[in-house]
Amino acid sequence: MNEFKVLEIKQSVFSSNDREADRLRAELKEKGVFLLNLMSSPGSGKTTTLKRTIAALKEELRIGVMEADIDSDVDAKAISETGVKAIQLHTGGMCHLDADMTRQGLEGLNTDDVDLAILENVGNLVCPAEFDTGAVKNAMILSVPEGHDKPLKYPLMFSIVDVVLINKMDVLPYFDFDLEKCQNYVHMRNPKAKVIPICAKTGDGMEDWYQWLREQVSAWTEA
Amino acid sequence: MHELGVISAMVKTIEEIIHEQGYTEVHKLVLEVGELSGIVPHYMEVCYPAAVYKTFMEHSVLELETIPGMVRCRECGREFNAVAQDFLCPSCGSQDMEILSGNDVMIKEILCS
Repeated sequence: MNEFKVLEIKQSVFSSNDREADRLRAELKEKGVFLLNLMSSPGSGKTTTLKRTIAALKEELRIGVMEADIDSDVDAKAISETGVKAIQLHTGGMCHLDADMTRQGLEGLNTDDVDLAILENVGNLVCPAEFDTGAVKNAMILSVPEGHDKPLKYPLMFSIVDVVLINKMDVLPYFDFDLEKCQNYVHMRNPKAKVIPICAKTGDGMEDWYQWLREQVSAWTEA
Repeated sequence: MHELGVISAMVKTIEEIIHEQGYTEVHKLVLEVGELSGIVPHYMEVCYPAAVYKTFMEHSVLELETIPGMVRCRECGREFNAVAQDFLCPSCGSQDMEILSGNDVMIKEILCS
């Protein structure tokens, strides 16, 4: 220890991850692969929504799915039953995925024959919002039983998403969930976010979501 | 714990910064923690030693500075501290606000050798 030096930095603690995420996005652009980062709290219906989405789109897009969980492989099994490629990523106790882990996941998945890669992030509304995974677009699912005030309680998550799916609309009559308030709260945090009410179980509203996804994928792969 | 993942990400960022400048060890780190960043300074301090254990930052001291979470009301334009006012505009009661400061966790200073 001879020469001490004070470095004045003013950089975000996340800047290493942010740079890695930008590199990954550039590579995906080059390869023509669209990566969607799907986030939500546990139990909001991510896997059910995915299964239905895959069934609707697998004839027109080559889909690959990465299931991130702290442990277990129940989700990857459920997805592989739909006939598309699926792998399970274990975060080893971490509550989120970063760009580096996402890159390893994409290598494991092998995206040579994939147009649409979907990352089902760890069920959590806090940490995944802070780590840019390198995805082209961020989607999140908020389900009716969770309550319409979530955009106020998890402002960062709602400020980084491109689309919010309000799931489980079939149980709306049984909950004090105010859809209009929820949409307003989302737009307070993020005026550009698209809000689509859906029911992954019955299929209601899903066509709007498929259409949004189709448009995003073709804008990314054709431009 | 959420703070643990944040520190691990930070260790990578700092490693890049100091290696670029030809240093290998960190003695002190000054972080600016925004009140709206979602990071609890106390938890950060508690898990810091575990998060940097057996890294080049193992013997470093952590110093935290709090950056106030200031916002501007989108209805009436009033500027106020969102945390102190419980995310409600003290003038008009609106919850619609734009963040002016305190949203980030920033590396301010690194004492290294």
